[in-house]
This record gives sequence, C-alpha cells and structure tokens, in this order.
Amino acid sequence: MLTRRSALLSGVGIAFAPSAALGFGGEGAFHPRVLKVGDGVLDPTRQEAPARWAWELVQRTSAPARIVTNMVAADHMDLLTEPFVVWAGDKAIEPLTRAEVRGLRQFLMLGGVMVVDDSAPASGKFGESVRRELRRVLPESPVVKLEDTHVIYKTYYIIDRPVGRELGPAHVDAIVRGKNAQVLLLSHDLLGALARNQGAWALPIEPGGERQRQYAIRLAVNLAMYVLCSDYKDDQVHAPWLMRRRARRRQ
Amino acid sequence: MREQSWALSEDFGTPVVAVALGVLLVWLALLVWELRTRERFGVLIAVTGFLAAGFIGATILRPAHVSQRGSVVGSKVTVLVDGSRRLLLPDGDTTRRERAARAVKELTEHLEHARLEVLSFGQEGVRPYSERSSQEELSVDSDLVRALDAVNDSAGERPRAVIVVSDGRLAQPGEGADDEAVKQALGGLGVPIHTLNVASAQGPKDASIRGVRAAGAAVAHQALSVTVEIGCHRLNCGSVPVTIREMLRGEEPALLAEGKAEVRDDHATVELPIVLERAGPRVVEVSIASPPGDEVPENDSRLITFNVTRDRIRLLHVAGRPTYDVRALRMWLKADSSVDLVAFFILRTKENNSMSDDSEMALIPFPVDELFTEHLPSFDAIVLQDIDAEEYQLSRHLKSIETYVRAGGGLIMVGGPASFIGGNYAGTRLEQVLPVSLDPGKEPFTLSGFVPRYTPAGLAASVLRPLRTLLGITLPEMPGANTLGAAQAGSLVLWEHPTAKAGKAGDAAMPVLALREVGDGRSIALGVDGTHRLAFSQQAVSSAGRGYGALWEGLLGWLMRDPRYEAGSLELVGPCFAGQSTKLRVVPLTPGAGAVEIELTKLGTSSEKPIVKQVSGVTTTQPIEVDMGSLAVGGYTAKAKIGAAPPGRLDFACEKGGEAWQDSRPDPARLERIARVTQGKAVGLEDLSELPTPPESRVSVERHVRPVLAPWVWALAAVVSLGAHWLLRRRGGLT
Repeated sequence: MLTRRSALLSGVGIAFAPSAALGFGGEGAFHPRVLKVGDGVLDPTRQEAPARWAWELVQRTSAPARIVTNMVAADHMDLLTEPFVVWAGDKAIEPLTRAEVRGLRQFLMLGGVMVVDDSAPASGKFGESVRRELRRVLPESPVVKLEDTHVIYKTYYIIDRPVGRELGPAHVDAIVRGKNAQVLLLSHDLLGALARNQGAWALPIEPGGERQRQYAIRLAVNLAMYVLCSDYKDDQVHAPWLMRRRARRRQ
Repeated sequence: MREQSWALSEDFGTPVVAVALGVLLVWLALLVWELRTRERFGVLIAVTGFLAAGFIGATILRPAHVSQRGSVVGSKVTVLVDGSRRLLLPDGDTTRRERAARAVKELTEHLEHARLEVLSFGQEGVRPYSERSSQEELSVDSDLVRALDAVNDSAGERPRAVIVVSDGRLAQPGEGADDEAVKQALGGLGVPIHTLNVASAQGPKDASIRGVRAAGAAVAHQALSVTVEIGCHRLNCGSVPVTIREMLRGEEPALLAEGKAEVRDDHATVELPIVLERAGPRVVEVSIASPPGDEVPENDSRLITFNVTRDRIRLLHVAGRPTYDVRALRMWLKADSSVDLVAFFILRTKENNSMSDDSEMALIPFPVDELFTEHLPSFDAIVLQDIDAEEYQLSRHLKSIETYVRAGGGLIMVGGPASFIGGNYAGTRLEQVLPVSLDPGKEPFTLSGFVPRYTPAGLAASVLRPLRTLLGITLPEMPGANTLGAAQAGSLVLWEHPTAKAGKAGDAAMPVLALREVGDGRSIALGVDGTHRLAFSQQAVSSAGRGYGALWEGLLGWLMRDPRYEAGSLELVGPCFAGQSTKLRVVPLTPGAGAVEIELTKLGTSSEKPIVKQVSGVTTTQPIEVDMGSLAVGGYTAKAKIGAAPPGRLDFACEKGGEAWQDSRPDPARLERIARVTQGKAVGLEDLSELPTPPESRVSVERHVRPVLAPWVWALAAVVSLGAHWLLRRRGGLT
C-alpha cells in the first residue's frame, strides 16, 4: 500500500526521472539544482554537495527533498520547472548569452529563488562577475545587504551569521524584489562545507573546523526552509518565542 | 334649482365698467347743471340727453339676461386611513385595522351630505383605501406629513376638511413635536384636520422590544455593541431578561449575548456586545422573556438581519510539511492585503534529528488544542494542507472543525500524501463536511501524472471564471492525485480525473476539485498538490504565473461568499412578513443558465421540508422574481442554483409585525394636538358623531346668457337719441 513515507522516500528513486514523472508528494520537494551557465560545470569536489544539502534537510526537518544533483542550463526551459537553483563557481564567468539572460530573468520574474555561492571567496572573482551579469538580468534591482534580522537567520535554526567552508563576511548580500529576497549572494563557499567524497567530508573547514561546518549546514537548512516557507518565521505568532530564545542565547 | 338674473357684458373687467359709468354720470350731472336756468326745450333736451347717455352706456356694457340651473352639494372631505402594519395589532377581540374599517363605514353614514374621498396613507404618500386590500399593501410606518403633502399636490378640488383615522403613533409628526412644529408640518392645506382614534383607550398590556440599534456596521470577528430598548405598558415588568442569538442552518441558535434590563418608568435600555464570526447576511434573534399578562407576545422578539462585512479575511493555514505547493499558497495569501493569515507549518517530526539544542532553533510547539478550540471561531476559513490528523493530534478536533463548518466556517483541504485518506480523515466527523466521501480501504493516492478535466459544472462555475479567462480550459499536468470518493450530497465537482473512477459502482469519474455548501458553511476539496505549477512552471510563463492567483482567488472568494464568484445575485423583493407572499429576485450573472432552482429552508433545527421552486428557460441575465409563497415567522436561508453552477445563498428573516409592532401604545394626545392646532376636532370611534359637518357648496351645472338687445340696436338707439339731443340743443340755443 502506498503511504506518505513511501511517497517521500520515492524522491531518491526518481532522482533522474523527468520532472513530470516525479510522482505525487515528490514534485513539491526541495531540490537544489545547480545552474549551468555557458560551458561551466560544478567543481567535481562539490558535485555531491547539493545532494548532501537535500539529505541534511530530510534528516533534520520535515521537509521533503530530492537527494540528487541535477544541472539545469540557464537558457533551458527546464529552469522554469522548479523555483530554486544554486549558482556556484570559483572563477570569473563569461558574459551571459542573451538566451541565458532571458532564461534567468523569466525564472526570477516568476518568483524563483537563486543562491549564488562563491567557491573561492578569497579571490571573489566569481562573485564579482555574477553581480555584473545579474545587473544585466535585473537592471532595476540592486544588490543590497540583508539585515541580520532577516528571516533567513531564523527559518529553522537561530543563526547569528552566515558561514560556509570559509568564515566569510558576517552578512549576506541579496537582490530583493517586492518583499522577497530572490537572489542570495554568499561569499562563504557553502557547497564546499557540504561536499562529500567517499563517505567523508571532502574539504576542510577554515577557521572553525567541524563546529563551523555544522553552522554551515544550519545555514543551508535555513536557506532551504526559506525557499519552502518564504517568510513564515516572520509571522507575528513566532515573534515572542524567538525574542525569548535570542535573549537566552545572549546571556 | 333654476334662477333668473341679468348681467353686463363679461368682455370688460370691473375697472372698465366703472370708468364707463363714471363718464356717463359726469355727462348727466353737467346736463342737469346746464338745464337749471334753461326753460325752452329744457325737458326735451334733458330726456334726449338721458336717453342718449343710457343707450351709449348700453352699447358699451351690453346688458344680458342670465338664466342658470344648479344644485347644492356636500363639501369634499378627505379621509386618511392609517395604512401601517401597526394597525394589525390586536385590540381586544379585534384589531385596529378592523376598527378603522368600521370607522370609515360610520363616517360615510355620518357625513352623508359630504363627498368623501377615502385614502390610505403609509410611508410613501397616499393611495385609494380599500377595506379588502391585502396585507402586502400595508407599510411599516405611517407618515401624515407626506400624506397631506400628497393631497395638497394632487390636481382637482381641494378638500374642505381632512379626517385622519389612526391610532396616533405616526412616524410624522413625531412624538416630541410641539404645537408650532405640528402646525408648520400640517398647516399647508389650510383646512381643519379632524382626528379619529381607532385604538381602545389605553392600548394592550404589553412588554415589547421598542428598538434594536447597532453602534456602527457589523464586521466579522469584531465586537458590535447592540442597544436593545424595551418598553413596558400597563405591566409591572421589573427586571427583564434579554437574549441575543444567531440563527443557524440545521443547528440550534447560537447564544451571542444575554443580559437583564431594569425597567423604570415603563422603559429600559440595555447594551449588549456581540461578535458575529461569519460575514454575509446573518439573522439574529433579539428576545425578551414575556412577563405575565403580556397581551402581545409577538413583539417580545425581533429577527434582525445583519449584513456582516469583513475587515480582512482571517485565515488559518496549517501544513504538515513545507513544500513548493505550501510555498506557493503561502506567498499568494501573504501577498493579498485583505487576508489576515495565521500559519502553522510542521517543520520537524519525531523522526527528525535536528542536531541541535531546542534553544538554538526557531521552532515553536504546534498549538493544536489552542487553535482548534479557543481560536477556531475567530477564523473565516481554515486550510488543511497535507497534514496527518493522527500524527499531529488533529483527530480529537475534527468534530469541532465539523461543527465550525456547519456553523458557517470555510474549509479547504489541499492535496498531498497526508491529506484525505492518507491523512487519516476517512470515516471521521470532518469527512462529513467534505465535498467528497473517503474510503479508508483504498490506496490513499495515485502516482501517475494526469491533466485534470473540467466538468460541465466547472465550465459554468463563476469560481473558476478567472482561471478559464486566463488559461482557457487547459490545465497543467498534475503529478498524481489523492484518491477521492464520490461527491457527497450538495457537492459540485468542478475538475475530475480523466481515468480514475469513484463511487461504489466505479462508474463516475474521480473528483479532483469539488465544492460543497454544508450547513451554514462551505468546503472545498482539492485532491492534488501540484497547483503551484500554475504559479511556477514552463506553462506558467505565458500567464506570468497569474493562473495560480486566478484559481485561488476564485476558491477563496467562493468560500467567503464573494458575490463575484456566485452564479448570480439573490435578494428579497420587499421585506418579508409572516403570512404574506414572499418573493425572491434572482439575477443570473451569465446568460444561458437554462434553469434556476430555489430551495428555501428554515434556519434552526426545524424538520420542515424545504420549499423548492424551479424556473426553466432562463436564457438571459434579466432578473427573475420567484414567489416562495406565504412563510411563517423565522429565519430562512434561500439557495439559488443557477444552471450547473454552485448555488448562491441569502439568509433573511420573516417577522409577524417587525418594526411596526414594536410600540403597541396608541397616542391619542398626538391626535388631539393635530386637531387642535389645525382647528379640527379629535374624537374616538365611539363619539364619531361629534365630528362637525362641513358647509355645503353650490354647484352650477347649466348657465345661459342672452343679450337684452343686439349691440347694433343699442348703437342705433344711441345715435338717434344723441342726434335728437343735438338738434334740440341747437334749437334751444345751446352749443
């Protein structure tokens, strides 16, 4: 007999199937697809990171997720099948083609959420080039610094600052359209912190070690929850609880 | 009667005649003065002079014989009979209206020489009085000022007197008006106004609700202060219990407020706060406990229809897990400023290991007991999305949710693996208010993708019109569906599965989207979790993702009885009074509905069978009036099914006397004041013979005018006599 749990777990089995055949209960699951721009591919070290992101989400939360790594091209209509994509890289990108600009614009206009993850924040070349191209995609929407009270810091875990494989800046930049932060720009190599290789973590964490990795995973979970619940934790009903907890943490 | 007389020419007015006569008299005076010393031909000159003056005068004024025939008739008297429903109040063994009819008969006899014009007056002027006129023609109140204005403005002969037949409790002139105000209001006609009091001397012993006033408009979920005014006439009322209850369909009335009114000087006022949770027309009963000896118990309760508006739609969204489908619905609801959203999503299950201390997490307990007991009535609608009833202790509240829906709440169950059968809702009390049945023995859902198909009802329903307008009848492919059973009684299926079957015989297509009107509330079953594809998918690009909003705007709008998503409008044609014909007006919003069916059910737990009326051949959007027959006192709900679309609904109240009966006391003092300030006389039914008879009028019906002589004869005589006069004067030495 089909059960809810079997439906949720079916996400693993249908990982590589076309999206129309994902099945009931699986279609709305969190799926960290990797954006493919030009000839760029995800660094092989980080290829399993999106799947780990989904796995961590399923382990830690009630949210369903697809534990697979899918690439989706910016100029392909498949970009518009789901509202989330990760754009990661470690070097400067070439200017986007017109089709890619149009595809990304359509994705964001429909309400999609994109996480831009700089795998080499020390150089910052990837991040800079992505910001340059995003100005072409959304010329009217500047990149702004998110306040530390933004909902991404409390969608599941209460976190004080973003971290990844590197400590990075203590804030997240974003492109906000309407009330929603639709493009989140990380300079912390989040996928690096999630990357696995032969059953072990693929990359060391600097400078905080495994504790920092746990905070990086919490950030990843929070970002997934933000994609799935938007500003749910900004609802008034949560406010007194969160204020009390934050006060207790400061003590 | 025949009379003979004479008259001068009517060609000239009095000033001309006076001038002519004056000139002639001056001429004659000069002639007399001139002839005083004259002896020769003096007499002849005088005679011809007088003759000439006379003939000239006759030539100018042309005297004529007048003969006329006529008669003496009685003066016109207008009798104004109070045409308000108040006169239906019992008065001893009879009613004031019957006493008024007797008064009219006796007035006809008493004023046999007068010409009586008997009119009935209500709120809107006058109309001819008939003893046998139906109760439908009676008005709520009676306005004497407007009635007299109407008489004054009417063409034809003005009356010489007016007789007002009433109990004195008029809308105008008001109770507090002084002599001067009454004179100003009624004195325009300038005739005496006599009054005839048809109520017995003191009126019945009666405790009544004299008035119900609300402080402002009724808004759902917000406290509304209702002021109840109570009157006590010829009774020792003391402390009177007051109760306010809301009439519900298929349910006992819900108590909204109760209190006690302390009656002093035959009057009391009590202010009670009430909260109406549901928007739309809601029937509320305000009642007092009848004290012993109350002769008019019918006015001890009032049925008031409050048109409850919404400030914002207060909506509870509960989801069993966060998904893209939950995200889409939340973002749409949050973007709508008219929605006050309270959301609870289950973010962690017992199986999850969050790898952290709770103090580092932003989670709060799911307040399931608090939500579904204390706060449930405060929501206009609840959305249950993919949440397991047993796992999250919702099962123990399913009966409350059923009661909530039957009492007027809205419910949407949105599909997902933990919805419907998969969420352990089959066989529960909540299933009883869902639009579809659930078979616990079946697979909870199917995994094969499909494109939902519009049913004929779905193609006709206003609720899906925005979506059809935007996308036509093409829907996105859905990744599987919840297994839903056959539509329950009163449900309408709007989308169905193209291959899966439902029902015991398995001959009906499985519902995918169904609506139901149940009790006072409405429910929606959406057996898929992929409608977010209307917001975000390759297909959504062409509509910029607006398809999702179009679907949910319609669903939520229908659930909240937004008139835009009803098949048509339904309204009462005039107020409803018990015992008289009640008509409803239906206006289809789209042409070609075909047939209209109206089902009228009494609110409450009455076992009376609903009244059903059908009208076929409805092809236009022209209003249709449907006579629902004579109704008893109570609250009613009318459902109009227009074609295949989901029915629209109207709640209304039917009262025996309503506002007209709220004060049964006669007001003889007001009648006396009206008579006094207009030089009339105030009498009662027993001393009607004391009314003065107005003077008779003479009316001419035939008049003949014949000249004494033809004008040329007068002129010839004048010329001859003037000529003779001139000759004699010349002979007599005068010039």
